[in-house]
Amino acid sequence: MEFSVVISYFPRLLDGAWVTFQLVLLSIVLGAIFALPIALARISSSPLVRVFPFLYIFFFRGTPLLVQIFLVYYGASQFEVVKESIFWPILREPFWCAIIAFTLNTSAYTAEIFRGAIQAIPVGEVEACKVVGMTRVQMYRRILLPRAFGIVLPAYGNEIILMLKGSALASTITLLDLTGMARTIIARTYTPIEIFLAAGVIYLVISMVIIAIFKQVEKRQNRYLGPINVKVPDKG
Amino acid sequence: MSKIPALELNDIHKTFGDVEVLKGLSLKAYDGDVISILGSSGSGKSTFLRCVNLLENPTKGEIIFNGDPLSLVQGETDLVAANMKQLTAMRQQIGFVFQSFNLWPHMTILDNVMEGPAHVLKRPKHEVRDYAEHLLNKVGIAEKKDMYPSQLSGGQQQRVAIARTLAMDPQVILFDEPTSALDPELVGEVLGVMRNLAEEGRTMLIVTHEMNFAREVSSEVVFLHQGLVEEKGTPSQLFENPQSERCKSFLSSAF
Repeated sequence: MEFSVVISYFPRLLDGAWVTFQLVLLSIVLGAIFALPIALARISSSPLVRVFPFLYIFFFRGTPLLVQIFLVYYGASQFEVVKESIFWPILREPFWCAIIAFTLNTSAYTAEIFRGAIQAIPVGEVEACKVVGMTRVQMYRRILLPRAFGIVLPAYGNEIILMLKGSALASTITLLDLTGMARTIIARTYTPIEIFLAAGVIYLVISMVIIAIFKQVEKRQNRYLGPINVKVPDKG
Repeated sequence: MSKIPALELNDIHKTFGDVEVLKGLSLKAYDGDVISILGSSGSGKSTFLRCVNLLENPTKGEIIFNGDPLSLVQGETDLVAANMKQLTAMRQQIGFVFQSFNLWPHMTILDNVMEGPAHVLKRPKHEVRDYAEHLLNKVGIAEKKDMYPSQLSGGQQQRVAIARTLAMDPQVILFDEPTSALDPELVGEVLGVMRNLAEEGRTMLIVTHEMNFAREVSSEVVFLHQGLVEEKGTPSQLFENPQSERCKSFLSSAF
């Protein structure tokens, strides 16, 4: 084992981690923005409105993320229309291709998480909104979405961590994210164990930070649940 | 008493699948009336109350609020509101107290009470806050205003729910078995609050199993059986001299 390579290449690994961080942050923020209308359409009472988010979620949950990345990265350039369009400067960049694929993918999962949270709100609380004469918009904006936010947190934190790990697939389309950078360094130094271990530790640290942040937000958001008192029975 | 009833329900029918739960119920409530609706479980009393503000959509019938009929159109199986604006306006003036309180658990007691007047009626915040604190004081839980619903007992939660309803200044208040989910020792505190409201002259429709309470506060008592009004009258008529056999046996088993 030659751990000095870890030290000498550590700044490069951090560069990769920074790319990973950008990929994850951008795609989860954009994903959450898209997920909300998708989730609301998914619980619409009209079957015609429901079918689009259903198909969207069906596709993005049912196919591998790697395939989705390839479809965006290699697929888009197959079409002359795309190459001549104003979107080409974006679609030609692997970074943005990864962002697009990740965003589409995570928005499908997140929409399902949002939908589950909204539907988990007890009917009585929804009726309490109706009887004070709230409109649908008021109901969602004032009560249901803030209420769903608390319910969503544990599952959503999970989705972000899955996204963090899924982001390693960006290395397959030439991006030098944490995994991509690790592979590049290994190609030069032939020290796969050391460098992959170091990369793994960095992923772990990022996960820990995400978990810690969510723990705090959950504590704040769900403070209405009160402290959970665990009573230990006396030993008899 | 004004000539136009505050609330008038005509020939309300409600069918769930093949089961006809309400078979043509009518009722008139004038300002200041306190009407108790009694009946064994399955008689349709809660469903009837929920039809008033369309928590449940009636299959047939007419709902008239202050002489103004609620426009209804035929939906897939039931009647639905033709005009959401009219429905929300009506709901703002008809309070509803649930059996299971249904406070919003993620909001403090004070925020629960302030929500309707502040964000639906859009009254100035400081006024709403003063009024909400006044109402919480009235139902005897002013000191708990910054707590969350889960930190309160059932009786306290129900009193908050009543304060939340009062905060809207409703013309009519509907109570759907407000004490049925409570431990016996907590029933009294909620009935006490309701008794005060009745004495203030508020218009109330109460579905309840509390016979003594119904007898003491009601101006009129309605006994339902299998989706129909079996008997109605003043408390003394109905409790002391019931006419129908069903009402007699119901009352004898209730006391």
